[in-house]
Amino acid sequence: MRKPLLELRDLSVGFETEGGLIVPVRDVSFAIYPGQTVALVGESGCGKSVTALSILRLIPSPPGRVLGGKVLLDGRDLLGLSEREMRKVRGGEIAMIFQEPMTSLNPVFTIGEQIVEAITLHQRVSSAEAWRIAERSLREVGIADPQRRLREYPHQMSGGMRQRAMIAMALSCRPRLLIADEPTTALDVTIQAQILELLRTLQRETGMAILLITHDLGVVAENADVVGVMYASRIVEFATVEDLFDQPRHPYTEALFRSIPRLRRRSERLATIPGSVPNPSDFPPGCKFHPRCHRCRERAAAPGAGGLPEPTVNIEANGTPCAVAARCVAVEPPLRRTGPRHWAACHFVPAVADDDAALPALDHKRMVTAAGVGA
Amino acid sequence: MSTSAVSFASAAWDMAAPPRSLWRDAWARLRRNRLAKLCLAVVALYVVLALAGFTPHLQRAASEMRYDSYELPSWRAVGLWLGADHLGRSVLWRLLYGTRIALTVAVSACLISIFVGTTLGLIAGYFGRWIDSLVIWLFSTVNSVPAILLMIAMAYALQGFETLKDRLSGMPIVVLALGLTGWVGLCRLIRGEVMRHRERDYVVAARAAGAGHLRIMFRHILPNVFHLIIIDFSLGMVGCVQAEVALAFLGLGITDRPSWGRMIDDAKLELLRGVWWQVAAATAAIFILCLALNILGDALRDALDPRLRGTD
Repeated sequence: MRKPLLELRDLSVGFETEGGLIVPVRDVSFAIYPGQTVALVGESGCGKSVTALSILRLIPSPPGRVLGGKVLLDGRDLLGLSEREMRKVRGGEIAMIFQEPMTSLNPVFTIGEQIVEAITLHQRVSSAEAWRIAERSLREVGIADPQRRLREYPHQMSGGMRQRAMIAMALSCRPRLLIADEPTTALDVTIQAQILELLRTLQRETGMAILLITHDLGVVAENADVVGVMYASRIVEFATVEDLFDQPRHPYTEALFRSIPRLRRRSERLATIPGSVPNPSDFPPGCKFHPRCHRCRERAAAPGAGGLPEPTVNIEANGTPCAVAARCVAVEPPLRRTGPRHWAACHFVPAVADDDAALPALDHKRMVTAAGVGA
Repeated sequence: MSTSAVSFASAAWDMAAPPRSLWRDAWARLRRNRLAKLCLAVVALYVVLALAGFTPHLQRAASEMRYDSYELPSWRAVGLWLGADHLGRSVLWRLLYGTRIALTVAVSACLISIFVGTTLGLIAGYFGRWIDSLVIWLFSTVNSVPAILLMIAMAYALQGFETLKDRLSGMPIVVLALGLTGWVGLCRLIRGEVMRHRERDYVVAARAAGAGHLRIMFRHILPNVFHLIIIDFSLGMVGCVQAEVALAFLGLGITDRPSWGRMIDDAKLELLRGVWWQVAAATAAIFILCLALNILGDALRDALDPRLRGTD
């Protein structure tokens, strides 16, 4: 059994605001193995970006702070490192690319100057050598005429090319983990496909792991090996990509899949999830999803699986009164192992074993990559 | 078909365009402004004259009492083009020497105030919190005292140090007094701008690449706010030239060498006797320099302001 490259253990991050402490990341645990792509998927504001930023300790320090947990890189807790040691990790062992290639590059420097800076921060090389590495990494990300592009400014490049330059910069020091925070959200569809294809190719060549933050299930389906679904600051489901798409267990994931338009299925109206994502300053009690959940309503209407009647309570959700299962309002379900390759946080999904101690970790590579099919 | 032709054309255009930096862009924009070019030439002329003031020849000529007291301007000799003062010294040569003093004072005072203002502004804007509060307190305090009073007080205070007095002639005192009072405006501007830039993605990206605070402040953010410094330099010079004159007029400026302020101070009583050329020459020199610097400062702002970029 391999050791994970990065492990998050019960990571909680809080922000001090005028309305009190809000917790955008709560008890998040998962592991990334070398060479693996783990996707974190969820709606805006569910905490996925904050999770990514707090791995590198890039949360603006007041108001944000880590409330507890561990971030282990090769068993070494990043949260305990000095700022100086942390600088070596950032860009050196873990690199990050961002959503907006437009604004993540400094407008007053050329692409070359910025890549060279990233290189010289982590490697003891001469300036000439750094420029050679920069040119090579631009070529690696598929930029034609890298000699000329190195001398250009960000505003002279298209969005896709800027994101390629960002990737070149991130990969110039051969990191073992790349955090990609919605790397294709700001790009148009054809460029999106190119960039993701590029990431897959580079992953095959370098063996780096990727933490892919996205809200796009299509991107997940084509790129991820393992998926964590986040809702309201927590991971509610964690599984291999095949398991998750075959058999979503958490009602939120189920509802997400139902809300994807399908070409083959003819239906009069696209399914939506009623209500909206709760505000982190005002989370509902118990399971954070119960005000929007279809399963706890169904269970309240029908008797329990074992024939025992399910205790219910009446709540008002999204403006309409309804009956839901009592335990959903009373108790927040923990993330439990519900199958060999599956974790879910729902009262109605039976756990396979009593030992909840195992943190979500799956050393799994997808069998057929989309790139393999295409090639 | 047509779309591919268009994209091909734009690609061809892109290939032809040489990489343009922000600064080259701004320079091209500045060059299109005729008035700004003229003002730049005027300022350059002043700089050349100021440099000429460092030649011993001009220094001698400025203090030589070669002509009659209050000799009228005439074409008789080059030194008499602007007449002579009460001791028979050439007003023209003194004016040129005064250019050296004025520009030396203005440039050094501006450099001091830019250094102080930029450093404090960067630190306050970047780190925020109590450091920011401290800097705000500092510049509010400095700003609450009228600048001219502060300069006078500072000039007096600096002259008060007996040990310094011998080593510091008038000029360093004036430079320090101007430099240490003039940084507030720039500091405020830079602080605000840095606060904006601190939240930008490229700063987070630089942090994610492993850059430290100092590197981010000085290598990443400073170049992005540098246009403010250039504009402030141009406009701050105007303030310094005027303040130097005001201090000299009050007898606190440079007393041992011919400065424009001294010339106006000397000439204030002569005016009653109809001797107008000395005051006219000095005020004209100040007026033209300040006007040129002002227009240039505005043009620089137009050329460098990122919000106006790409509008033409």
